[in-house]
Amino acid sequence: MKKTFVLLFTLFSLCSQWVRADEEAVRYLDAIEKKYSELKDYTADVNVHFDIETFKTPDMKAKLYFKAPDKMKVESKGVFFFPREGGFFNPALFRRDDVEIKMLELAAERKEEVKLKIVPKKKEKVGREFVLLIDRNDTLIKQIYMSQFDGRETKAKIEYGKYGSFDLPRVILLTLDVPSMDPGEKRGLGPFEQKSERITGTIEITYANYKVNTGLKDEIFTQK
Amino acid sequence: MRLFWFETYKAFSRWRTYISFSAIAIVVIVSEIVMKVSASEILFRMMKMFQKDFLISGNVLNGWFITGFIMNSLHIHIPFLITLVAGDMVSGVATSGTVRLLLIRPPSRSRIITAKYLTALFYTAALVLFFSLLCALLGIALFGTGDLIVHHYGKYGIVLIPEGQVPLRMLLAFAAAIWSMTVVASLAFLFSALAENSIGPIIGSMAVVIIFLVFGNLPLDFFRDLSPYLFTSYMNLWQRAFDVPIPWASIAKSAIILGLHNIGLFWVAMIIYRRKDIKS
Repeated sequence: MKKTFVLLFTLFSLCSQWVRADEEAVRYLDAIEKKYSELKDYTADVNVHFDIETFKTPDMKAKLYFKAPDKMKVESKGVFFFPREGGFFNPALFRRDDVEIKMLELAAERKEEVKLKIVPKKKEKVGREFVLLIDRNDTLIKQIYMSQFDGRETKAKIEYGKYGSFDLPRVILLTLDVPSMDPGEKRGLGPFEQKSERITGTIEITYANYKVNTGLKDEIFTQK
Repeated sequence: MRLFWFETYKAFSRWRTYISFSAIAIVVIVSEIVMKVSASEILFRMMKMFQKDFLISGNVLNGWFITGFIMNSLHIHIPFLITLVAGDMVSGVATSGTVRLLLIRPPSRSRIITAKYLTALFYTAALVLFFSLLCALLGIALFGTGDLIVHHYGKYGIVLIPEGQVPLRMLLAFAAAIWSMTVVASLAFLFSALAENSIGPIIGSMAVVIIFLVFGNLPLDFFRDLSPYLFTSYMNLWQRAFDVPIPWASIAKSAIILGLHNIGLFWVAMIIYRRKDIKS
């Protein structure tokens, strides 16, 4: 009887700790959303530099348009490849209603950063998992680690600069680790097929000339 | 030179010569129109792998991309069209029964066969140039211009060549494509010098090209070791024009090897033709 009581008590304590941790995790994301609640839109010049062995391309330049909550467009003179995940800044990317949030590392008082695990609920993002590293002092997402069910992994390290009253990305360094062949592709002659290798490398995205809250119209995002 | 123009006139007077040009015109025009209609499907298939990770903007499916795409798809089939004429250059005279009439004329056998060979090369160059220019000009008219994306289907990688550099790269690719196809012409020409009718040289040349291509691509160590000795392994040098940076050393090596094949094949053809018995 005594043993059962101790076990139940321990379980109850752990559960309440987990619940508290998850509530705390939600608070961190809420704080970020609140910090950027006044950010309605922005435009910026983007330079993308590829350092991937299989991507032989000069730096690509474009103009990026963003309008809260989730409208984004890039405009370029030539062909432009822009990373979908982690390539641009959207403070409302992880809204509490759209995701499940778990605290990965409990934040001790002296610790400046916390790690959160995010699992999207939206159908189009199912199969992806995100781990965020949040700076508690500045209320900023410093790193985003993304993994997908098909083995694609991306890590985004974000450096911020002050633009007006907002901290916005100055440089985003993406580290890619993806399969070299499309999983749907069948090549070669069965037993002789080469094993699928992985492609790794980095993409450095530099932002400049931010213009914040200029009142971008919705039509900009619908034009071809 | 007069002999060369005479042979060229003869070659281009035959309706058979235009089969190749017509076939290419039909294939290129129909392909490009269909590609224009189903542009989004092509883009989706080509860029499927990247669209998971990247937003892609700009005119990816432009005339240069289409040119590269069609050249990539057809460079195996063009040799057949080349052999249609090159394989008939010498044997055609035997078939028509005019070989004695031709060889009792003042020009030496060496001059006659050189003129015929140059005509075969001229036809090859004209055909590849027609193919390349038709692809490019029609492609640009239908799809516009832009940066060139070179992508090996199913593989996670691209080469992007800025629009300003593309025309020169294309010219280099066209020149390299002509050069590589001259070996097929030389081979068909040699077989033509050996035969009395045209069917044998045409089928024989294609058989050699197909066998070499198959051997060169089989993923076994034996065939991998063999592939440097097959001229077909060097025929894709035109694709290197789209590498970054351009591998000049590799292009030069392939071009020299193909050139030596041309010299060797023509030399053997000339010896055979000079020793040919026309009395029996």
